[in-house]
Amino acid sequence: MNSFKLSITEKLVRITIYFIISIFIATIILPFIHIIALSLNEGIDTSKGGIALWPRVFTLKNYEEVFKDPYLLNSFKISILRVIIGTPLSVFLTAMAAFALKSKILPGRKFFTLIILFTMLFSGGIIPYYILLKSLKLLNNFLVYIIPFFYSGWNTLLMRTFFSSIPKSLEDSAMIDGANYFKIFLSIYLPLSKPIISVIALFNGVTQWNDWFSGTFFVSQKSLHPLQTVLRAMLMSAEAMRKKMFITGFAALFGGRATVTSESLKMATIMIATIPIVCIYPFVQKYFVKGIMIGSIKE
Amino acid sequence: MNRRLKKSIRIFYRFRILYLMLLPCIVWFIIFNYVPMVGLIVAFKEFKYNMGILRSPWVGLYYFKEFFNYYNTPHLILNTFFVGFLKIVLFFPLPVIFALMLNEVGIRLFKKFAQTISYLPYFLSWVVVSAFVFRVLAPNDGLLNQIIGKLGGNSEIFYMMEKKYFYQIMFLSYLWKNLGWSSIIYLAAISGINPELYEAAEVDGANNFWKVIHVTIPGIRSTIGIIFILSLGDILKTGFEQNFLFRTPGNMDAADILDTYVIRTGLMRGQFGYATAIGMLQGIVGLIFIIIANKLARMYTEVSLW
Repeated sequence: MNSFKLSITEKLVRITIYFIISIFIATIILPFIHIIALSLNEGIDTSKGGIALWPRVFTLKNYEEVFKDPYLLNSFKISILRVIIGTPLSVFLTAMAAFALKSKILPGRKFFTLIILFTMLFSGGIIPYYILLKSLKLLNNFLVYIIPFFYSGWNTLLMRTFFSSIPKSLEDSAMIDGANYFKIFLSIYLPLSKPIISVIALFNGVTQWNDWFSGTFFVSQKSLHPLQTVLRAMLMSAEAMRKKMFITGFAALFGGRATVTSESLKMATIMIATIPIVCIYPFVQKYFVKGIMIGSIKE
Repeated sequence: MNRRLKKSIRIFYRFRILYLMLLPCIVWFIIFNYVPMVGLIVAFKEFKYNMGILRSPWVGLYYFKEFFNYYNTPHLILNTFFVGFLKIVLFFPLPVIFALMLNEVGIRLFKKFAQTISYLPYFLSWVVVSAFVFRVLAPNDGLLNQIIGKLGGNSEIFYMMEKKYFYQIMFLSYLWKNLGWSSIIYLAAISGINPELYEAAEVDGANNFWKVIHVTIPGIRSTIGIIFILSLGDILKTGFEQNFLFRTPGNMDAADILDTYVIRTGLMRGQFGYATAIGMLQGIVGLIFIIIANKLARMYTEVSLW
């Protein structure tokens, strides 16, 4: 077979491909290491500059300070609560709807699908949405993190397509045995749908964890702010903080007091906002192909 | 009549459990998506909190006129289209190319590693990504400036404060976040291609390059088409988060787009009618783009959304 012998041009192309991919991977990994190094370095030492990929004066103090700050600690709790309460609810509700929509014999199925599909193409925009939340009394309410995140058109249709790939004969034989639809859903469809459930749970969990918008614009009460909203507020005042950092930095240098600066606190907060995702994502990654592919291509 | 009614009741009863399972979903979509669409009438009203939408006085097309008379409007529209162009047209072929490149990687471990790492940034929030970007591009001690400094260049540039760097930073960080994830769908499409086609091409004497041209690309053409149509609808509403978070006093001029303007005027200053009018124009233009794209796709390829 001559395919085993690659021509010189093909070899060159191959090397170039490996090179480009490696560069891209490096642009993802290096900034991560940079931030980790900064978050593990003593704040005042950091402000002298020169920290690249390794901490110079190692410390865990920055992380300790984050968990000592009541506002940050509370926002961390709010973020976790959102995911723990919101995600299972969303997955279950989405699965129920998707199960109903996948039944080809259900009268009105096309119409209901269209209702969902159209919301992916057109929306009323942010202001009418804001007025809606206000009239539903969801502003300044923890539920604004839960109820508006129940469904997404994309997730519902993705799950529906996955369900329709499950052989219907299973359902039919259960029907003969006298099971009702809900029972079939619980005992046949859910256990067979681990890939799509993991993927939808990841999508929804990540959306919940990453959402800073609701907290910033729909909630003014600080005790209800999630981590991402607080992190954004910290970044927004970056300039003010930069100046402050030098002042507190110098004060600490001469007074020998706190070694944590607002900048190093920020780095630790960024890592805390990132670590949960980095930890959970690899476990779900293996389902990406099964879950998404079947869902998206065949529609 | 009576018989038809009886029949529908019987059907409804037969599927009552399915309808019950679907009910919360439909109610939710009506409340959270269709009620705000009705709420678009705010664009034609002078919204007063104490009166609610229905009793607020009509103002006709006043807010639309106000928007088109605003001196900065052409600039905002231009910025918005330019951002949309970068993120949709310029970005669009890159995930396809990335998927084709990954597909050529023979070392399985490397391929797996590359996939794992390259999907990851998609799952980070824009807040975290903006923090990364601000940090890496910081003057003096940011990673980029440190490298430039080591190479003997000027390491004092505050990139995020300069208008002239804004679009490059915006595009590259968008690429950084989305390239890997966007390629996943094409990788899946590639893996769905019938292997016999490759064998046949080999028999015909095709080398790797011609296999990509004659088998792989035609094999994923319909996927490419559908993704393109879907993304065109977003041409006017891309990157609100990114532009909002990347905005600094220095780059404001380039970063301001319709989305950020709507948030500023509507949510921050409370000009509800005015901001709704702008949002409505965005939505309609987006819909028109999708319809045109769908028509073109149907004319030139076999794919379409409806």
